Amino acid sequence: MASKRFILKRLLLLVPVLFGVATFVFVILHLASGDPARVILGQRAPQSQVVQLRQELGLNDPLYVQYGRFLVDAVQFDFGQSYQIAQGDTVRSVLADKIPVTLELALYGQVIGILLGIPLGVISAVKQDTLTDHVGRVGALSGISIPIYWSGPMLILLFSTTLSIFPASGRLGSTIFLDNSWQLFGMQLPLTGMVTIDTLLLGQFDAWVSAVTHLFLPAVTIGIYSMALISRMMRSSMLEVVRQDYMRTARAKGQGSKITVMKHGFRNALIPVITVIGIQFGGLLGGAVLTETVFGIGGIGTMLVSAINANDYPLVQGTVLTFALLFTLVNLVVDITYSYLDPRIQQ
Amino acid sequence: MSTDTATDATSLEDRTALDRLRSSQFLSDLLSNRLALIGLTIIVGMILIAIYARLAYDLGALRSSQLGTVADRLPPGWTGAGAVDQHIFGTDASGRDIYKRTLYGAWIAMKYGTVTVAASTFIGVALGIIAAYYSDLTDNVIMRTMDVLLSFPSLLLALALVAIFGSGLWKVVIALTLVYTPRFARVVRGAALKVLEDEYIEATEALGANDLRVLAKHVFPNTLAPVTVQSTLNYGLAIIDFAALSFLGFGAGPGMPSWGLMLDNGVSNGLLTGKWWMSVFPGLFLAILVLGFNLLGDGMRDALDPRMRETVD
Repeated sequence: MASKRFILKRLLLLVPVLFGVATFVFVILHLASGDPARVILGQRAPQSQVVQLRQELGLNDPLYVQYGRFLVDAVQFDFGQSYQIAQGDTVRSVLADKIPVTLELALYGQVIGILLGIPLGVISAVKQDTLTDHVGRVGALSGISIPIYWSGPMLILLFSTTLSIFPASGRLGSTIFLDNSWQLFGMQLPLTGMVTIDTLLLGQFDAWVSAVTHLFLPAVTIGIYSMALISRMMRSSMLEVVRQDYMRTARAKGQGSKITVMKHGFRNALIPVITVIGIQFGGLLGGAVLTETVFGIGGIGTMLVSAINANDYPLVQGTVLTFALLFTLVNLVVDITYSYLDPRIQQ
Repeated sequence: MSTDTATDATSLEDRTALDRLRSSQFLSDLLSNRLALIGLTIIVGMILIAIYARLAYDLGALRSSQLGTVADRLPPGWTGAGAVDQHIFGTDASGRDIYKRTLYGAWIAMKYGTVTVAASTFIGVALGIIAAYYSDLTDNVIMRTMDVLLSFPSLLLALALVAIFGSGLWKVVIALTLVYTPRFARVVRGAALKVLEDEYIEATEALGANDLRVLAKHVFPNTLAPVTVQSTLNYGLAIIDFAALSFLGFGAGPGMPSWGLMLDNGVSNGLLTGKWWMSVFPGLFLAILVLGFNLLGDGMRDALDPRMRETVD
């Protein structure tokens, strides 16, 4: 069992890292060129207004005061209001809108990657050094060599432009509208923001079909990459496990065929693969930025790109900090899971 | 006394000789790996293409737009549908020849990719060795900073840095260098710590070697192997991320024949209308080059860890 001490230690180690991350994000605003007040008011605004706004935003305070204020706000997840992209909205509400969109994409992509990657890796390992294995390895290596912003367009060319099977962009058909909330036993409940779930909650089956067909190509785009990584890790982990002493014992005890032996090792071989899946999830969030751009999905990625272009610093800060937080937490969960599966790690 | 020193020195020499032997073994293992050789061939081929394009084509001409001419988005000559045969890969929305631009893209990818990998390797190695060799404080300051940088998904960190520096090819290089440096620092620190545990380092220090000498002559050479693998694998990543930032609009300036920007053009100006050649060719070259680095990097790792190739009966 993972001891409480181990988890506590990992949590404590997280504090300085998150502190560093917050500091880095604070620095973004202050190193970036351009006066935030000028960004908000536009180039033509009179200087007097800019000066006044600088005062209101607290930009004239000493740096350490601003830093302290930023940390206090950041802990409460308050990044103020968006300057440009969603003028007037708080960064928190913008993020709450956009995160489910990106998360949905990344999750489906990850699921596709796991469902295909693990069997492929196992087959490759079982058939080591056969033609199947070689094809599988080169295929997986190609999978990680092809950038998402190329595999995505190629899928669109094939399945949308040429075959017209799947839509090329967006999240739902243009004629479909969803209500803002759904009812359960007469209670109004908020939606999740993930279209494949919301359409079901609302009972709009046509819309659900539309959501799934829209999500298919982007999810496959991410899935191909994820599958390639997972199958590579699965293969080498499987081969590593087979060499262990306890596997030799299993063979000595008469566990004859290679496949039986592999079954023995599968559970253990899965441990490092779980780590890869976890670590890679952060990469998938990055991949989602590119996928959203290719498929015209209005998630956190496309928003971040517009926010950077528009010098919308609070939005950039909020997004970057949120991503880092998500990434760090996923890694923490992975570490703890790992220590459950393999107690040696705790030493 | 002096004889003792001499013996010690000989044993030190033996050790480096051993290392050299090990590395020649490494080389022959690598060369017997067919996939690694294919990777190497791809890379060399792409370098030749890059140099050829750099010498044969004028960047200004490749960038200049001929909007409004008949050459607008012509399909590749060999498909028979195009009016002009000399455009083997067709033309883009500004009437520019995609073949020449794609070849020139190899130069851009290699040039900026090389600088990025070289810079992050150099800084990462230096930081990693210093962190391993010096006190807890130095070690902690360096490695915790690296931890912070590693807390961001890499593309996101690159975007955040671009938000600070602004866009442009060299600024993207700086951003990506900062993104990759921590990985090298980690790998090198690990390898260096292992070497530093060895008794011969203590012996060298006892013989009066100064810090710099120990680090440069004994610690650094022992980190070379993992660093080379990491650099090779990172090369592919650097080329992908570099093009990604151009694809998102932060790297290459208007008209630059960078693969990322060409793909961006292909996606926005040709995807839905079926002008496939605009996005197929630059992406294909990009993917092949990255595959080359990954094949070579994988082969190197296998050659370093021969256990991975043992057959299981």
